[in-house]
Amino acid sequence: MTADYAAAAAGLVERSAAAFVAAIPRQPADDGYFGPGSVTWRMAADLSAPVAGLRALLLQALHPLAMAGVDQHSDWRRDPVGRLAATSAYLATITYGDRAAADRAAARVRKIHDHVRGTDTVTGRPYAAGDPALLLWVHATFVDSGLAAARAFGAAPSQDEADAYVRETRIYASLLGVPHEGIPAGERGLVEYVKSVMPELASTPAAADSIAYLLDPPGLDDEIAELWDDVREAVLATLPGWALDRYGRPAPPALTTGRRDEIRGTLGLFDAVFLGEPGVLEARQRITLRQRLAEQRP
Amino acid sequence: MTVKRKLVLAGGAAAAGGAGYILLRRNRLRVARGLAAVGLAARGGARYAGSAPKLFAAAGEHREQLRHDLALRTAEDVTATLGTMKGVLMKLGQMASYVDDGLSPAARRTLSRLQDSVPPMSPDLAAQVITAELGQPPDRLFRAWDPVPIAAASIGQVHRAITHNDIAVAVKVQYPGIAETIEADLGNVALLRKMLRIMAPSQDVPALLAELRERVTEELDYRREAKNQQMFADYYDGHPTIHVPRIIEQYSARRVVTSELADGARFAELTGWSQAEKDLAAETIYRFVFRSLYEAHAFNGDPHPGNYLFRGGGRVTFLDFGLVKHFSDEELRPLIDMVRYLCVERQPEAFRAAMVDAGFLLAQTPLPTEDIVEHMAVFYDTVKEPGTRTMTSDYASAVTRRFFDFRSPLTPYARIPRSYVILQRINLGLFALLGELSATADWRRIAEEIWPFVQAPPSTPMGEAEQGWLAG
Repeated sequence: MTADYAAAAAGLVERSAAAFVAAIPRQPADDGYFGPGSVTWRMAADLSAPVAGLRALLLQALHPLAMAGVDQHSDWRRDPVGRLAATSAYLATITYGDRAAADRAAARVRKIHDHVRGTDTVTGRPYAAGDPALLLWVHATFVDSGLAAARAFGAAPSQDEADAYVRETRIYASLLGVPHEGIPAGERGLVEYVKSVMPELASTPAAADSIAYLLDPPGLDDEIAELWDDVREAVLATLPGWALDRYGRPAPPALTTGRRDEIRGTLGLFDAVFLGEPGVLEARQRITLRQRLAEQRP
Repeated sequence: MTVKRKLVLAGGAAAAGGAGYILLRRNRLRVARGLAAVGLAARGGARYAGSAPKLFAAAGEHREQLRHDLALRTAEDVTATLGTMKGVLMKLGQMASYVDDGLSPAARRTLSRLQDSVPPMSPDLAAQVITAELGQPPDRLFRAWDPVPIAAASIGQVHRAITHNDIAVAVKVQYPGIAETIEADLGNVALLRKMLRIMAPSQDVPALLAELRERVTEELDYRREAKNQQMFADYYDGHPTIHVPRIIEQYSARRVVTSELADGARFAELTGWSQAEKDLAAETIYRFVFRSLYEAHAFNGDPHPGNYLFRGGGRVTFLDFGLVKHFSDEELRPLIDMVRYLCVERQPEAFRAAMVDAGFLLAQTPLPTEDIVEHMAVFYDTVKEPGTRTMTSDYASAVTRRFFDFRSPLTPYARIPRSYVILQRINLGLFALLGELSATADWRRIAEEIWPFVQAPPSTPMGEAEQGWLAG
C-alpha cells in the first residue's frame, strides 16, 4: 500500500541531521522556553528519541481527523522524508531555540494550520488543523511517547522528572494555540487524557498506509535499512495494547534484557551515523556547552 | 640459525615472561661488523613531546578550549559518550584505518567523526582513575604531573609527568568504565555482524569480527600492552635506530600504563624532510616490522602514522603496542616457506604447498600453480629481485586492490586464516606508509639480512650499524 509514496526514504538521516543542525542556535538571545537545565533538553537528546518520534506518529495517526489533515493537506505522501525532517526541525527549534525563534516557528505553523480544513472521508466529520482538541492529541502522544521510549531504551526518567517533563512541555501545545489550562501538567493527567480520547481512535486506510510506510520505509539507504528491523521492533514493543489492537497487530512478545540491549546498540549506531553528518557534532557541542554553563550558575 | 634467533625463539614466551629472556639476550654471539654508524645509537634524552598529539592534531586554539569545556567529568559522561556501541565503533575505526578500501565512504566518515566526538577526561576524572589504579593521586605519585593531556589514545589519554627519580614519563590513562562498556557491547554479536556487513561489505565479516573481539578485549587491559611494549623495548635495547620506550612498571596497572617519555617529529613533519632522511626512516620501519616478525615472532599491528616519532638519521621511536600479535613456530613456518620458495628457491609448487599449509589456499584448488603465483606475486614485488626500488602510493594501492580483489579466479579458494588476519596490515599499513614517503632502498637485500633462511651480511650502513646490536 505504500506505492503511492512518491519519495523513497533515502536521505532520511541526512535531511533530519541538516534540519537539526540548522535549528540549534549559535548565538541564542535567551534560553528559550525550556533552558539548558530542563528535563526537556535531556529527554530530547536521549538515545531513545527516534523511537519516541516514530511511536508518536503511530499514535497520532490513530486519530482519524488528525490523520485526514495530514493526508489531505500536507506533502506527506509526496515527500514523507521532507515532512519528517521539517517536523524534527520544528521541534528542535521550539526546544533549543531562543524565544523569538520559537515564536516565529510556531507562528508559521499556526498560519499553515489555518488553511488545513476539510472533511474526513472515513468518518464524514469536518476537521481543522488548528482545532485545539486535535493539537492536544498530537501533543499528548508526543510527550507520552518520549516517556515510554526513554523508559524502554534510554535513560529512564524518575517519576519527578517524568512529571516535570509533562509540565515543561505544555508550552509545545500552547504555542500552537491549545488553551494552557487544558493541557495535562503531570503524568497522571496525561494518562487520563489519553484514555479519554480512546473511543475516537481508529485505523483508517490512510493511517494504515502511513504506518506501513513508517515501519518499513521503502528505499532506505542500505546502511540504514539493515538496522531498521530493530527500530521497528523497538517501536512496536513500546506501543500500548490498545494501539496495536486498532492496527490489527498482535502484541509482540515481551523484550528480553538481551534483546533490549541489542536494540540499544542499534540506537547507538544510529546515533553514531547521525553524528557523522556535517555539523551535528558541533550542534550537540553547542547544547552541551550551554548545559554545562547552566550548571555553573549559582 | 643464529644464536640471536634461537634466543628469541626460546623467549618466544618472551611475550609473557621477559626476565629470563633479557638474561639470554646478553649472550648474542653474532659478530659485530662495522661500527661506523654506531653514533646513530646515541639516543636523545627523553623530553616532553612538544609535537601535536594524535587526536588533537587538527585542533586550533579555540578547539582545544572547546574540548576542554566539553571534558568528560564522570564515568557516566564516559558511558554516555562511548557507550551503546560507540566505543566499539571507535575501535573498529582504528582497525579499519588500514582497510580503507573495505569500508563504505559513509562508514569512513562516521568513524572519523566519532573519533572527533570524544573529548578528553577532565583533570579530576583522570586523577581519579590514577588514584583507583595506583593507590595515590598523581600529584603525590609523581614529582610533577601535567593535568592537561598531551595526546588522546582511542580509549584513554596520555599525560606527561616526572617521577620522583627524575624520569620524564608518558602516562596513558584509560577512560573509567570504558572496558566494561565495550566488553558488554562486544557481546552483541548479532548487531556487530550487521554493523560490519554494512560498514565493510567486502570484508570477511566473521574473521573481522573475531579479530575485533580479540584485539579489543586485549587492548582494554593495559597490562598486556605494557608486557608487549617491554618485550619490544628489551628486544631492541641498544639498537642503533629502533627505539621503544621502556615501561615503568611501578606506575602501570590495568587501566594505566607508564613509559619513558619520547620526543621526536611526527609523521607529517617527516614528509617534509629530505628524501635521504625519509629513506632512512623507512628503512628503520621496514627492519623493525620484519625483524619483529621473523625473529621476535611478534607483529605490532598498529602501523598508524601517529605511532612513530622521528629523530633524524633514521632513528625512529615506536609507540603504542596495544595491538601486538605473537606467532607460534607453526604459524610462522608457512609464511617463511612462502617467501623462501617464491623469492629465493623459486619452487612454485613448494610455494603453493606452503600456502595450503598455512590455510591461505584450499588444497583442492583447481587452478594451475602459475595462476596462483601470478595472483600472489604483487605481495612479494618489493623483494622478488635484488635492486633499488622506490615504494609508491600506487604500489600500496595495487597491493590493497589485490587484497580486496573479489573477482579474481582465486577468490573462491583463498582464505585468510584468523591468526594471519592482522598481517594484512603489513600490506595495507606498512606499504602505504613507505609509499607515502616514496622510500627507496634495495628491499630485497635488506630482507635477506633478516630472512632466517638467508641471514645475509649487512647491505646498508644501517645494516652495518645493527651488527653491534645483533652481537648483543
